[in-house]
Amino acid sequence: MTAIEKPVPVVNPWAKPFWDAANREKLVFQHCNACSKNIFYPRIACPDCFSDDLEWIEASGKGRVYTYTVVESNAPSAFVDDMPYVVAIVKLAEGIQLLSNIVGCDPHSVVCEMPVEVVFERLNNEFTLPKFRPI
Amino acid sequence: MDKNAKRAAFIGIGEVPTGRFPETAAIYHAIESAKLAIRDAGIDKDEIDYVMPTASLYSPAFNTELVTCRIVEELGLRNVNKNCQVFAGGSSSSCGLQLASSLIETGKAKTVLFVHADRLGTGVTAQGGIDLFSTAGISAEWEVPFGQHYSAIAALATNRYKFETGCTDEELSAVCVSNRKWARLNPNAFFNKKDLSIEEVMASKMLSTPLRAKQSNMLFDGGGAFVLTSAERAPDICPRPVYLLGEGGTVTHFVYSQEPDVSRFGWARAGKKAFEQAGLTPRDMDLAEIYDSYPIYQMIGLEELGFCERGEAGKLFVSGATWPGGSLPCTTNGGMLSQGHTGAGGAVALMIEAVRQLMGKAGDRQVRDARFAVETATGGTYMDAQVTVLGTEIP
Repeated sequence: MTAIEKPVPVVNPWAKPFWDAANREKLVFQHCNACSKNIFYPRIACPDCFSDDLEWIEASGKGRVYTYTVVESNAPSAFVDDMPYVVAIVKLAEGIQLLSNIVGCDPHSVVCEMPVEVVFERLNNEFTLPKFRPI
Repeated sequence: MDKNAKRAAFIGIGEVPTGRFPETAAIYHAIESAKLAIRDAGIDKDEIDYVMPTASLYSPAFNTELVTCRIVEELGLRNVNKNCQVFAGGSSSSCGLQLASSLIETGKAKTVLFVHADRLGTGVTAQGGIDLFSTAGISAEWEVPFGQHYSAIAALATNRYKFETGCTDEELSAVCVSNRKWARLNPNAFFNKKDLSIEEVMASKMLSTPLRAKQSNMLFDGGGAFVLTSAERAPDICPRPVYLLGEGGTVTHFVYSQEPDVSRFGWARAGKKAFEQAGLTPRDMDLAEIYDSYPIYQMIGLEELGFCERGEAGKLFVSGATWPGGSLPCTTNGGMLSQGHTGAGGAVALMIEAVRQLMGKAGDRQVRDARFAVETATGGTYMDAQVTVLGTEIP
């Protein structure tokens, strides 16, 4: 059976700094200089105050699991070989949240509010995905 | 003139069985449902002046036929001014109803035919269905690369809800049992032949923890339609028209992980708007047709609309309050969990069921003397909360 290639992020041009940073193993997000809001995912204007005075800053990489699931069957084709794998929404210390995978532990040990930190997994020559592991 | 005269009213409904029908064409589900709805209304087909098909997901080519007036021609409707698709995923029924009612209220349309048809049971393979629902409406940049898909999305909500409320897997399974009891009385439901027990649900295959196979909807072929006109005209046409009394909606996200509260969503705000507009409260409702693609949404829906306290919905499903003969008849067609999921049609079927019950046409599962009903819908990855209040009288 031929392995199905993993889907790669379909990158919006204004989000390219995020993916470039991930390749350098850095997790970055936007910060609004007008209203001080931290922003994820990257926008062309602040979703709070609509300013376009946005800058990129590096995240601490630390957060907690808001919610999670262990995918045990009926995964999308490209992920069938990865089962069981953990899909989770992680809330970062900076107040933003993102979808990722929890790795580096028994999938069934993950619980809500578990503290986690970012790790980087290279997907291919072009992309590195930010994932999280228990602290 | 009485402002209620311009209000929208349902005068006819039509629905074909939900199931697997490889031998027939997708358009059959559309034209047969529409034909049944027009006959149910008892009007001349040429009274229809506006056709509002919603979208089919299984085939872009078939969907283009819906956009390009095939229903109008197949039915030979001669006085149609517009054929205009309204699509908001699982919220298409609510969004279509709101737009149609606005057209009727402003006199832009007199008699609107809304139609849904899809072929997700036989038009796509099982893995094709999983793959469709691991990309459709899921962010290609922020979620698809992490193996996100609809079962996982429901599981993420379920785990957070369990964490916050202490809800049990037995309570979640009881939602499926309740819906199956209703489906047993519904000739159009796919799963109408066998009862279901909590034990059977709990023994079914684990999909994404804690969600099991029998807690997941299944995709099928099907179709449904309804006919709307003004409250002024409705009583002359229909012995028991059903009026749109209130509706409210809230859009909360596109990317699922950006939803601020996956154990509540926007139901409380949407419900408040709908009940206020109707001048009614949850206590006035004779039935609650709550969107149920997975059990968690039906529980959250009941709680956030105010039918019970947070964390208490499970008890209603376990105790039998939501079952046939219970004090709070809920999702009385069997829902997507037991009638079957037909794409945008899941909530179309719930809306049709609400109207069917209020018109007194629900056969063996008729809720006696039903006057008021609330119905809910949500689209995409639970991106919005749409609440509709219907009734046989205008309070």
